[in-house]
Amino acid sequence: MPKDLLIKLEGVKKSYFLANGEEIPVLKGIDLEVKKGEFVALMGESGGGKSTLLNIIGCLHPLSAGKYFLEGRDIGVLRDDSALAFIRNKKMGFVFQSFNLLSRLSALKNVSLPAVYAGITKKEREAKAEKLLAGVNLGDRILHKPTELSGGQQQRVAIARALMNDPEIILADEPTGALDSQSGEEIMKIFCDFKKRNKTVIMVTHTPSAAKYADRIIFLRDGKVISHDYKLNSTK
Amino acid sequence: MKFEILYMAFEALISNKLRTFLSMLGVIIGVSTVIVVVGIGSGAQKKVDDQYKNLNVTTILAMGNRGKDSSSSSKISEEDVAYVLENASFVATGAAIVEGSLSVAYGSTSSSLPAIGTDPGYLDIANLELSAGRSFTEDELTGKAKVAIIGYSSLETFWGDETTDPESVLGEYLTVANKKVEIIGVLEENGTSSSMLNYDGSIFVPFTTAEKTLLGSNARLMLNFLAKDAESVSVAMVEIEALLRKNHKLKDGKENDFRLMDAGSMVESASATATTMAILLTSVATIVLIVSGIGIMNVMFVTVSERTKEIGIIKAVGGEQKDILSQFLLEAVILSGIGGIIGVVIGETIIPFLNSLEDWYVVASVTGVAIAFSFSALVGIFFGFYPALQASRLDPVDALRGE
Repeated sequence: MPKDLLIKLEGVKKSYFLANGEEIPVLKGIDLEVKKGEFVALMGESGGGKSTLLNIIGCLHPLSAGKYFLEGRDIGVLRDDSALAFIRNKKMGFVFQSFNLLSRLSALKNVSLPAVYAGITKKEREAKAEKLLAGVNLGDRILHKPTELSGGQQQRVAIARALMNDPEIILADEPTGALDSQSGEEIMKIFCDFKKRNKTVIMVTHTPSAAKYADRIIFLRDGKVISHDYKLNSTK
Repeated sequence: MKFEILYMAFEALISNKLRTFLSMLGVIIGVSTVIVVVGIGSGAQKKVDDQYKNLNVTTILAMGNRGKDSSSSSKISEEDVAYVLENASFVATGAAIVEGSLSVAYGSTSSSLPAIGTDPGYLDIANLELSAGRSFTEDELTGKAKVAIIGYSSLETFWGDETTDPESVLGEYLTVANKKVEIIGVLEENGTSSSMLNYDGSIFVPFTTAEKTLLGSNARLMLNFLAKDAESVSVAMVEIEALLRKNHKLKDGKENDFRLMDAGSMVESASATATTMAILLTSVATIVLIVSGIGIMNVMFVTVSERTKEIGIIKAVGGEQKDILSQFLLEAVILSGIGGIIGVVIGETIIPFLNSLEDWYVVASVTGVAIAFSFSALVGIFFGFYPALQASRLDPVDALRGE
């Protein structure tokens, strides 16, 4: 396995089961490689399995069959809660379409949340959270609650939270889906900056305007990869 | 980490004031109501106990069979006492009293009091102690002297305050049935206030005075006996019955022209009433607990989807199941604990208030507090924790959907 290979999926399958026991296959054998420092977009029609794939990569979901290597280690077999929590905590940062911030907490506390579970002291984590919020141009909003922020601002808080524990990968599920185009562009710029530090971004998106920032686009259709290296006529 | 989780739990409770308040309210109402209800139950039991605590269980009463068999020429009389005492072997002592009702006045205050005409020995039989003054003398008894011993609550009736120094009323004159009667003694509080034995509210006069001068035809004669000890009460009753029948020359097959009662069975029946009441109140308390439990449950379930999503977020950022469970368990414990304490405080505040009302008698009981607190705490903790346990077992993705 090459040294710069971060993620490798082999024949990954995922099915859901209905209450009557009927099997709904969502991913029908995915082979995929993502290198360290890549910015990859996952595109494809609705129901094609993009989000499911992203959630499997993010260890938010167990896979039904196949192999998942992260940094050369087979983590597809992991079912232990603490081990998976550790990976999510240290290696991954999530950005969701609906932000998923805790509405009762201030921006500062939302951003610090991953560090709470990493055992970082309050002083240390809040100092870092403040710095991260300043980095996404929210230095003057640290005590605001999510409801007091615009959608774009909330998504920047969510990104600051994703960056809190210095992850290797940002996993973003339609991060610009709920935002206007200008806010969307700001988010993409943050992702590009992250990539420049030799980190990896995997992003599910519908919009070509977001996908054009990616190094390559993986197309999914009906639970299978139909293109690994599609490129938009990038203007970046 | 432990401290962090405690901090997170507090933060969640404080930032969600309405939910915290509503679920706490269930605990508070449950705990305080149960404390009060159990207190009322114990109060009723204690009242019965107090009422009869000075009643000698060896007491046996014999009284005429009024109305029934009125044609019978033979009735209970003072001579019966002497006859029984002479011939019975299980009866320790006995005295005759006459009972009736007298209008008693002091100054401008007048009241109708139960009156008991008796001889000096009766005070011992009835377990009555004097707080001031003296009992009747034999001379007063034979001379139909116009003297009286008043019960404890007469101090309040005529002097307006039951803390009136009993010594200060000695030598005062009451107007009893239009005759001046001197107070020579005051009884200590006896606690008996049942309709059968209202010593605290009664006025005591010499037997002869009551029978001839004050009560006249209103007098009702009652014989008081004491059995040798508690074990011989039933034998003594049989004995007294037989002796009275003999003395009254009742033929075999003829009904008694008197009634016999023993104090023990009076206490028992009063106790049984209190027990019935306690059972009733316990049922009420149980219903209250169930209802408040449902209240707590509702509030907790209403917020399940919100909290499930929260659990999903915490999982996504790398919180372990055990951290999440600790936080939610702590939240539930803090909420139920504080609610429980407030409930106890409210309950314990209501009790003295109820006691200040007339005719209420509520006893704060440790059992009540313990039952109420532990039940509500358990309900609160269970319904706070159980949904979190369910949610923490979901895949993070499913929890994030808030299902």
